[in-house]
Amino acid sequence: MMAAGFALFGCRDGLFGPSIKGKVKSPSLSDFENEVRLALSMQKSGFNLVRVPMPEALKTPGASQENRFGMAIDLDSCDGCGKCVLACIQENNIALAGAERAKLGQFMHWIEMHGGVPSMCFHCGDAPCEKVCPTGAANHTPDGISAMMYKRCTGSRFCGANCPVHARKFNFDDPVATGRSHKFNGNVPVRAQGVMEKCSLCLQRLQDARHDFKALHPLESWRGRGVTTACAVACPKNAIIFGNWLDEGSPLVIAAKNRVLYAPREVAALNPSIVYMRGYR
Amino acid sequence: MIFRILLYAGLALLLPGLAALGYSLWEGPAAWSLDTRTFWGTPISLFVFWIGLAHAGTLISAILLALGVPLDRRTSMLAELTTLCALVVAAVFPLMHLGVIENFYMVVPFIDARGNFANVGSPLVWDFCCIAIYAILSLVFFVIHLLSDRFQALEDLRRPMAWLLFPLVLWVHTIVSLDFAVTFVPEWRGAFFPLYFIAGAIYSGLAMVNVLLVAEGCRVRMLEKLMVAGSFVMLAFWGWNFALKGDWNFSVFAFGALLPQLWWVSSFRESAVGRLLVSASVLFGLWLERFYLVMPSEPQGFGWTDMGLIAFSLGFFITLLVFLRIKLRKPIEGDVLLFGELDEKPVPVVEHHTEPLTSREFIVLRFPLLVGVLVALVYTLWAVSRPAFDSVALGVPHVVAMFFPIVALVAAFVLCIRPFWTIVPRSRFTVLASAAVIVVAAFLAGMFYAGGSSQKAVREAGADIPSETIFDGTVPDSLHARALWNARCSSCHGTDGKFNEKFIREFYPVPQKLTAARLDSIGEDSLVHVILNGRANMNPYEGRLTEADARALVRYMRSLAPETNDSAEVAP
Amino acid sequence: MIPLMNAFACLLSLAMAQFLWHKPIRLFKEAFFLLLALVVFGFYAFFAGDISQPDMESYPFRMLALCLCFSTTALPNKRRRYLLMAQVMWLWIEFFGGISLYYHGVDMPWTRILAICVSVFGSTFLSRISQGMEFALMAYWIAVWVFF
Repeated sequence: MMAAGFALFGCRDGLFGPSIKGKVKSPSLSDFENEVRLALSMQKSGFNLVRVPMPEALKTPGASQENRFGMAIDLDSCDGCGKCVLACIQENNIALAGAERAKLGQFMHWIEMHGGVPSMCFHCGDAPCEKVCPTGAANHTPDGISAMMYKRCTGSRFCGANCPVHARKFNFDDPVATGRSHKFNGNVPVRAQGVMEKCSLCLQRLQDARHDFKALHPLESWRGRGVTTACAVACPKNAIIFGNWLDEGSPLVIAAKNRVLYAPREVAALNPSIVYMRGYR
Repeated sequence: MIFRILLYAGLALLLPGLAALGYSLWEGPAAWSLDTRTFWGTPISLFVFWIGLAHAGTLISAILLALGVPLDRRTSMLAELTTLCALVVAAVFPLMHLGVIENFYMVVPFIDARGNFANVGSPLVWDFCCIAIYAILSLVFFVIHLLSDRFQALEDLRRPMAWLLFPLVLWVHTIVSLDFAVTFVPEWRGAFFPLYFIAGAIYSGLAMVNVLLVAEGCRVRMLEKLMVAGSFVMLAFWGWNFALKGDWNFSVFAFGALLPQLWWVSSFRESAVGRLLVSASVLFGLWLERFYLVMPSEPQGFGWTDMGLIAFSLGFFITLLVFLRIKLRKPIEGDVLLFGELDEKPVPVVEHHTEPLTSREFIVLRFPLLVGVLVALVYTLWAVSRPAFDSVALGVPHVVAMFFPIVALVAAFVLCIRPFWTIVPRSRFTVLASAAVIVVAAFLAGMFYAGGSSQKAVREAGADIPSETIFDGTVPDSLHARALWNARCSSCHGTDGKFNEKFIREFYPVPQKLTAARLDSIGEDSLVHVILNGRANMNPYEGRLTEADARALVRYMRSLAPETNDSAEVAP
Repeated sequence: MIPLMNAFACLLSLAMAQFLWHKPIRLFKEAFFLLLALVVFGFYAFFAGDISQPDMESYPFRMLALCLCFSTTALPNKRRRYLLMAQVMWLWIEFFGGISLYYHGVDMPWTRILAICVSVFGSTFLSRISQGMEFALMAYWIAVWVFF
């Protein structure tokens, strides 16, 4: 009982304080590249895509009528190279999966390829994950991002169970202590053990841009021009386009205007912010 | 003595189980069999199983009492004791399976100083409320029963309390079933899950009580018949599951419905070992059913930790139950030497017709229920008006699940307060004890209100703190300062040099008017100190701003400040 | 089309209700007929309705609740109590099944729930349940089933 009590309140630091493992060797970039290659070789089959209309403003109370961020992925250009996956890993300090999980095809990558098509959290406007999170850690920002508050997460994993496309990843182990994490980007925290994580639409880049804009133009409204996600930057074919669905001048709207938009069948009815483009109207 | 054997058996299961529990707490969710697709595993299936078993106790004691079926004191007290023990066991699992156990308090929909609030639309929050209230009311019910042979006032309380517990039990297990039925997981699809789970709970609960009766050395025929009848009903549910989703599990069918039919064979029925085997088969089959439900796609590696957790739950239950049973032997057994069997043919009771809404229980309960409904309404309306839900579409179905448990809790409190007040002896001890209880409760509520620490954990590899540099005298230029001011300070202090004027009506003591002369007399160092260490109503910025930044801000502020007492606008 | 399916369901429930809760009440006979009723209802729901529709998930159990409502009107003793319990069971299935479906995007059937609530509340006031009253209740339930 005492042991259980100590373990409960001393928590994951162990019975005698933080585990003194010494300097844990941090993996190198080539480890991550190899893992991406492995993930691509083990990728699951593609989604069943159905047509969806162009996303509009969110219907929730307090939703912004000016900003709804999202992405469109051009399936006619995308060739499944996987550079977006690596870029996302480097931008967000995503950890390696570890040998046993990697063998089973279970990775921590926020972008996963399904039949050559990159997929990530679709930032549903009517997100099933947010509805069931007990603490409110999974919530929706007024400008359309399905956000994750790591500090508020208690690790119940209800959100992960309820995602129809299994886009959420859980930190079963501490990435730093087990030597699976490399801090590529100083602006993004490495998630602790026991919290869920998923694509954040590079919220840190959006926040920095919003910060700078408001600092210099405090009375104007920010529409998100000039900022883009790491995966969009990395794509050699410019197949991923980030932008603001409610801004006529946003590159996203301009690109998606004449295209037919699709989403996986499982999330099509949930008002996703990230859609696929194929063909022309 | 059978109790000693059971106690040793329980301890034998408990001790390795504790090791498994300790390991699970240390390692976290990686310790038991889970993976990136199957997020809930053995602990949750054990949770559902033990909550189901807890319902059996309330079924036998409270529901039969409410329906007027005669049952002797000893059986019903045993049943209530098993409810309490099963609840304690069940409560361990939702706690230990969390990824970040320290944050479990965030699930409770109660006050928070920071304006956070649990998501009242989440079935896990409903779960917490319902099960906590169920545990409290079961404990109260048990205590009332313990003391009821000495105080008539308490004996009169039992039936109304039973009428409160009756719907509460069904409500609790319905909410547990909704944990699964609201999701998009294909195997958990089912608007019929509430009924399914309740039927499963009653069935497994009857089996457990039968096991305990065998241990006590006696027999209640009606429970056995109910159990076999239950196997038919479960068969229908499993059949419908198969028709709807194609889920069929032969081992569940075999242990849960096929083997129990052995009861028809008289040699099994008449021997204690036979009855034990049949009941144990039902229990195992139903546990398997929960297991396959919670983990539809079995992850690899059902290992020692999982088995250890199962052993822990079983061992803890047996140990706790036997221990309490031995300790409370006198009140439970009383002066009754024989264990009464339920009458097969009840004496025909001529029931007088009661006018509608005039039954004794209803009259006793109507005021407490009214108070309960009012409190529940106030709470629900207060909860949904929390600022945390400003941008969430909350509808009635999201919050209605918490309604009745709150009604039941408040009604039970109002109902019990007068009888308890009359029977409690007025001694210094009770007064001090009740004062102590109130103080402790207030202390806990206050700790809860404060919430967790906002200090960064030492081992956090966070990135938001700009690295602290030693201040070497260089201060960033005024453009940087202006950007920083607009970003960090302007939301409270404005961009037009009015600084504290916004707060004059809001805070007491009244903040100072910050003109240039005033700023000069305060001095740059003091102002930097205020920025870094905070002040009444202002957070400290140490760790978020470097000292150089703070100095730049103070100098920028000075350039914004109006020169004279009449606040002249200074263009930024 | 749907009201027709519901109407046949009511007929089937009425038919099965003949086997339940008639004197003498033997536990195993009751359990067996309950199982039989559920199997019949299950088959009916499976073949008559579109199983992939979410609101068909609890259809056989709603039929069972209706069947129990019908059969408790014929009980010799304590009729009002068991009548109330059967209706509450029906309300329970509709209400909590509705919450589950609400999270899947299907609207909650508030008119149906309200109608059953009215019936439950009204039933608490019944003193003697005459034949006419029985018939009126049954007609009300059928109306709720077919049209709401």
